[in-house]
Amino acid sequence: MALLPIRFERRLTYTRTAAILTTILAILLAFGAVAILFIILGLDVAAAFQTILNVFITPRLFFQAVVRGVPITLAALGLAIAFRMNFWNIGAEGQIYMGAFASTGIVLAHIYYGFLPEVLVLPTMFLTAFLAGGAWCLLPAVLKAKLNVNEILTTLMMNFIAILWVAYLIYGPWRDPEGFGFPLSIPFPDYAKFLFIAGNQAYTGFTITLIVAALIYLLFRYGKLGFELTVIGQSLDAARYAGINIAKAIVLGAFLSGGLAGIGGLSILSGIIGRLRPDLSPGYGYTAIIVSFLAALNPWLIVPAGIFFGGLFTAGEALQATLKIPGAAVEMFQSIIFIFIIFGEFLKRYRIVVGGGGSGG
Amino acid sequence: MSESPLVLMKDIVKRFPGVLANDHVTFELRRGEVHALLGENGAGKTTLMNILYGLYKPDSGEIYVKGRKANIRSPRDAIRLGIGMVHQHFRLIPTHTVTENIILGLKEAGFVINYKKMNEEIKRLAESYGWKINPDARMWQLSAGEKQQVEILKALYRKAEILILDEPTSVLTPQETRALFRAVRRMAEEGKGVIFITHKLEEVMEVSDRVTVMRKGRVVITKNTRDTNPQELANYMVGRPVIFEIEKKELQPGDPVAVIKDLYAMSDKGVLALKGVNLEVRRNEILGLAGVTGNGQVELVEVITGLRKAVKGRVIIDGKDVTNRSPREIMELGVAYIPPETLRWGVVPSLRVVDNLFLKAYRYPPFSKSAVIDWKKVYEKAEELIREFEIITPSPFVKTRTLSGGNIQRLILARELSGIIGGGVPKLIVAAYPTKGLDVGATEFVLKTLVKYRDMGSGVLLVSEDLEEILRVSDRVAVIFDGKIMGVFKSSEADIEEIGLLMAGVKEKAKAG
Repeated sequence: MALLPIRFERRLTYTRTAAILTTILAILLAFGAVAILFIILGLDVAAAFQTILNVFITPRLFFQAVVRGVPITLAALGLAIAFRMNFWNIGAEGQIYMGAFASTGIVLAHIYYGFLPEVLVLPTMFLTAFLAGGAWCLLPAVLKAKLNVNEILTTLMMNFIAILWVAYLIYGPWRDPEGFGFPLSIPFPDYAKFLFIAGNQAYTGFTITLIVAALIYLLFRYGKLGFELTVIGQSLDAARYAGINIAKAIVLGAFLSGGLAGIGGLSILSGIIGRLRPDLSPGYGYTAIIVSFLAALNPWLIVPAGIFFGGLFTAGEALQATLKIPGAAVEMFQSIIFIFIIFGEFLKRYRIVVGGGGSGG
Repeated sequence: MSESPLVLMKDIVKRFPGVLANDHVTFELRRGEVHALLGENGAGKTTLMNILYGLYKPDSGEIYVKGRKANIRSPRDAIRLGIGMVHQHFRLIPTHTVTENIILGLKEAGFVINYKKMNEEIKRLAESYGWKINPDARMWQLSAGEKQQVEILKALYRKAEILILDEPTSVLTPQETRALFRAVRRMAEEGKGVIFITHKLEEVMEVSDRVTVMRKGRVVITKNTRDTNPQELANYMVGRPVIFEIEKKELQPGDPVAVIKDLYAMSDKGVLALKGVNLEVRRNEILGLAGVTGNGQVELVEVITGLRKAVKGRVIIDGKDVTNRSPREIMELGVAYIPPETLRWGVVPSLRVVDNLFLKAYRYPPFSKSAVIDWKKVYEKAEELIREFEIITPSPFVKTRTLSGGNIQRLILARELSGIIGGGVPKLIVAAYPTKGLDVGATEFVLKTLVKYRDMGSGVLLVSEDLEEILRVSDRVAVIFDGKIMGVFKSSEADIEEIGLLMAGVKEKAKAG
């Protein structure tokens, strides 16, 4: 006998309305659970929620949300490519770090060695961040395509290599000589920052995410590659039968996926923190996985979903600053919301059956 | 006391999307008998047994176990009722030992496992059926035959009185098969009931007491084995001749479009499935490949179309050696392929009809330029194909899974034959079980289409389990058994009795008789 008289049955169909309602309900329930957490912690729930709400209605804070949503959105757009072809890229975090590493390299080369004229610095950073992130996803993709090695494990483990590589650089050769020993690179000059649209990091970052979302949309709407990736994701057997070069498509798709996460890494440095730091991402690459699924891999929905999660990060900081909520509680608050959303996604695919089952027959 | 049967399944109906897998099936298993369940693949045997084992829920019908109405919702319920099933594909954990696999999930094993006692019990149980098994051996160390013994022991250890064996001999050597048969007879002597699913006539004759023949989801007949013979069973299995004729031009076959020379290939299980196949398909002819499913047909068509590697031998298409080339290269030479298991290979059910129509042609002009698909041209052509091949669909944009089996097959014919891939009539059409699961109307459409393209110059290799169908449309018939071609005949001169026996692998008897 099972421990609990509960079973999960796969749903054969679900309507779009039900899916949207489930998501909204999950978010509401999550905030309900968060309220309970705040009560347990002895906090002023009303004030805490006011702080969270403020993020989404105060222009200055909302700009912050957008800025933090940019790397999440970019990584999530990349993941949408990988997930469409059933390539479980869990390595966006590492790809973000590699993108950040590569773009910093260009800045340092320019400042110390006069590499490239000033106007070309930022475009080259885009290119190298993309290549570095893509390359970081390439090894797992080749292993998967040629030897059928599980990409969940390889992409995940590549994260640690990337994060430690950046840590090595920033504690070692790339540390700012005038930075009083802090593990920081030299600050980026303005021409290496996301200020080229309206001189504003939020506008610039948001525009970039819209352009990338449009490109992904076009890739799947009109691209041969997009069609091939969709077929591969839906039926590997049919893809083989159709003569699609599966290995090539997987490698290419994974490269694009990692490359966009790499741009996400660039967007953290040039769009938010302005220099390389070992803790440059508080897990944007993992959040991007949730965002990608919450948006059902639809590029146009990924943009608002990414900003919403950017807002949650901003709200976490605001709670810490204004209500002196401990950092750990803020992380719990974000985790609770993630869990509810993931459970909501689960409920879209399965229904819960309580009790030993019906009459049968 | 008049004993009620071990199992009585009454009026079982099970419908899958597009298929009636069990159509009011009634089946009875008595105490102390080996009951063969005979039928071709797709006849509904495994579905019926999966229902008995609680893996599927019937749409209607009743099951009685030892005279009492049973509501079997899961294998757990089945096991509690004394039903055990050994599947075609083993469900054992390779890194665990024999004993660990057998007691896995067993409540009686308790929290702290007394391995010594269990090992002893399992060893004794195995020996009582003449098997020598080391309970400490790990699964990956065992042969297929030994793994199967473990599966059976697993059921018997749970006190199964009703044992379902699904195609148990398909992975066994002749020696292992004999050992299995001895053990099965022994179980029957002990008063257990054994259901033996098979499509091999000789096994039915050798091991069973009674036999139930299924075809297209229905029970054809149940008979005492001693009151029947392989030929009669083959007739029941394949079915009666169909009356209507298909019009065919009188044509002289032309040059060979496909030549297969001494071809060897492995099955998915890693055993040799093709053992030196020689065949020739010529222009303007349909070559029917007759045989009981699982004798190498699927492997053969997969090697020809590039989906499976040949170990040895050659495939020559239109004069070019294409052995082990990619599916795409072969398709671009003008080879059309209508695959078996349509929903797995032939279409992506979750994509739209138009996507599946252009599953191959999307990459060729005029439907795409460089990296971009020209959907406008695709949509226009799709409308045309839907009309030409009479595909019934509300629009080209609905999900393919909503179509009936017949319409999905029309979609595949449209994609493969209409010339959108290479332009022009295909040189070779490889059609594997193209009418399986289809109703009469759709079957006629498929066969007529194949004949039409044969008249237009294609060479057709038609693989089918339905001998009548092959004889209706083919110019020549080749019989495959155990990875070898047993004989090739002109359809007009073919003797159905002889072909039937060749399909069962009994060549010598055919000549002697």
